[in-house]
Amino acid sequence: MTSAYRHTTKWLAIAPIALMLVFVLVPVLNIFSTSLRLDSFAILSATTTRNIVWFTTWQAFISTAIVLVIASPIAAVIANFKFIGRRALISLVSVPFILPTVVVGAAFLELLPRSIHRSALAIIIAHVYFNVGLAVRIISSRWQQIHPQLDDAARTLGASTIRTFLTITLPLLKKSFISAGLLVFLMCFTSYGVVRILGGPARSTIETEIYFRAMQLGDVSGALVLSILQLVVVGILIFLITNIGKAKASPKFGQTVYSRMHHPRSSRQKLLVATVAITTAVAVVTPLMSVLHRSIYLGQRFDTSAWRSVLVDTEIFSSLLTSLRYAIFSIVVSSIVGLLGASAIVYGSSRYQFVNLITSIPIVLSAVTLGLGLIITFDVNPIDWRGSWLMMPIAHCLVAIPIVIRIISPVLRDLPNDLRDASRTLGATTWQMWRTIDLRIITPALITAAAIACAISLGEFGASSFLVRRNNETLPLTISRLLSRPGDSIQAQAYAISTLLIVVCIGIIAIVDYRDSNERGI
Amino acid sequence: MLECRNLVVNYESTPVLQNLSIYIDSGEIVALTGPSGAGKTTLLRCIAGLEIINAGSIWLNGDEITTRPAHLRRIGLVFQDNQLFPHLNVAENIAYSLKIHRVSKKLIDDKVAEVLDLVDLAHLADREVVRLSGGEAKRIAVARALVAQPEVLLLDEPLNGLDKELHARLLEDLGKLLRLRGTTTLHVTHDQDEAAKMADRVLDIRQLLS
Repeated sequence: MTSAYRHTTKWLAIAPIALMLVFVLVPVLNIFSTSLRLDSFAILSATTTRNIVWFTTWQAFISTAIVLVIASPIAAVIANFKFIGRRALISLVSVPFILPTVVVGAAFLELLPRSIHRSALAIIIAHVYFNVGLAVRIISSRWQQIHPQLDDAARTLGASTIRTFLTITLPLLKKSFISAGLLVFLMCFTSYGVVRILGGPARSTIETEIYFRAMQLGDVSGALVLSILQLVVVGILIFLITNIGKAKASPKFGQTVYSRMHHPRSSRQKLLVATVAITTAVAVVTPLMSVLHRSIYLGQRFDTSAWRSVLVDTEIFSSLLTSLRYAIFSIVVSSIVGLLGASAIVYGSSRYQFVNLITSIPIVLSAVTLGLGLIITFDVNPIDWRGSWLMMPIAHCLVAIPIVIRIISPVLRDLPNDLRDASRTLGATTWQMWRTIDLRIITPALITAAAIACAISLGEFGASSFLVRRNNETLPLTISRLLSRPGDSIQAQAYAISTLLIVVCIGIIAIVDYRDSNERGI
Repeated sequence: MLECRNLVVNYESTPVLQNLSIYIDSGEIVALTGPSGAGKTTLLRCIAGLEIINAGSIWLNGDEITTRPAHLRRIGLVFQDNQLFPHLNVAENIAYSLKIHRVSKKLIDDKVAEVLDLVDLAHLADREVVRLSGGEAKRIAVARALVAQPEVLLLDEPLNGLDKELHARLLEDLGKLLRLRGTTTLHVTHDQDEAAKMADRVLDIRQLLS
């Protein structure tokens, strides 16, 4: 790596390390050392706990299996065919993944018949909706890296189309299916917002039970035991996800995207593309439209009072402003700290890999546990920051920073060193070299990361549930509060806010995909 | 015997091949030369059944195969970049077509060993294909195509990108191998010297268009 940057690495690493130490490691170690009692481990053998663990596991497993089945044809169409609206389809299928989980929950609360509210089925349907886009993106991007002539070679060697798929394409896609499956399982296993909204008191996952025990029963120690259990499972899943690509004897893929795509030729191909594209679009849009519909209809009557109240009701308007303020804070802080962290990891020697490790902790740690750690640690003098407005946006940043680092560091790592050397031989100082080469090339990734940080902040629900105070309720918390209250007109307000968040998320996906496609020249 | 009659291929509205005709006798090795973008690779892909042709016909040993799917044509193709299957090792790559045709395990082992001997790479049977050198990968690609016993072998600039010494050695070996087996071959190259050394007959693609 460029030696010119190596001397600056220690300075780059200070901010991300300090932030993680103060707001993640210290709080977590503090709650585990002060609040965890050994006798609380007895809850692991309780029937209720066993039922919760069993439910968390099987609903995640079933959701993952359905996600992979639904994602496969969508990924196949996106990776192999050119058609009008292809880019729009990619963006559309990604929208649910960045929607706030409470919005997805609210959408299905409206869309699904009352008879299956508060059921496992409702939770599974919402999880599938939420995660299909993630699986489609992972599988289709790997599919595009398979050289199309490998299919041709198989066919000239006597393999039919189906046989070619089974013997060449599928084995080469196997790892992407496993990666997507593990990630989706992780998302469903640690799901919080969807389960809180759709599961109600009848259906708990480990994550919602941690919240329930800590906040409703005041059993922090029991909550921590469940947190440890979840930490172990998540740690194993992340270890597997990280190591899949490193397995020996696996076919190596570069970053090359081949021109596999062609216009559908036969009528069978045209039918396949049309069916998949239309079905996907309808499936993604229907829940979103149901949210809009619910916000402007009271019963059968067209009524815009919910929208008026968003602007007039001081509580709702205040949470709108709070969410915006926190989103801006999160964009600025997460982007800067994430950029510093990614730079320290990429520019630094192998010693700086611990920055990667320490900034990964918020991923392994659930947002709920993070919130619990912050609320317990920072509520005593001399650091009674619990009442400070800063705690919640900092929690949003802690969730966003690992993602920002993971978006920026691959781009920084792939930047050829020759470009930096060329810049230096042309007279650039270290600062000028970084500004004119590194920063210029990673700018699109930085914008993507900032957009994702914005989406994370706007939708964050787990940690925020703990950190909310009288005057700092964010939009997802307001939605959850309004949905729990009786009355059609009050609930319509929750749907009006949800519609606002949906529009913002669609805007974010549009920014990300527009920049991404411009980058790749497609 | 392979014959293409008045082939026409257009990509969208751009003409790529216009009324191309070619005839290759059984066991003959024909080299096809011509400038880049003249349609040499497209012609090979049409013969292999990998491209849809707009007009004309293709005949193999007296049967019309114009609309026959690629996997039923028994026409082998060695790609410029080899296209060895990265998830299979050397022996598995070579055995691929035999497994597709449900040949017995014993026969597969014998044939793979035989063809590996033929290309002097018997010691690499278990190697991952990503660990092969350029010359080794090329030999394996030829071996994989030959083991399927194709009626016609198509070579798409097979020696492109190899250093001078390796190029000369592989050219000699490949020529010997194809003559030994009497394989009808259409060899596309832009190297006139390579064409002259390898083939019974050298054609320029521009002469085949009418």
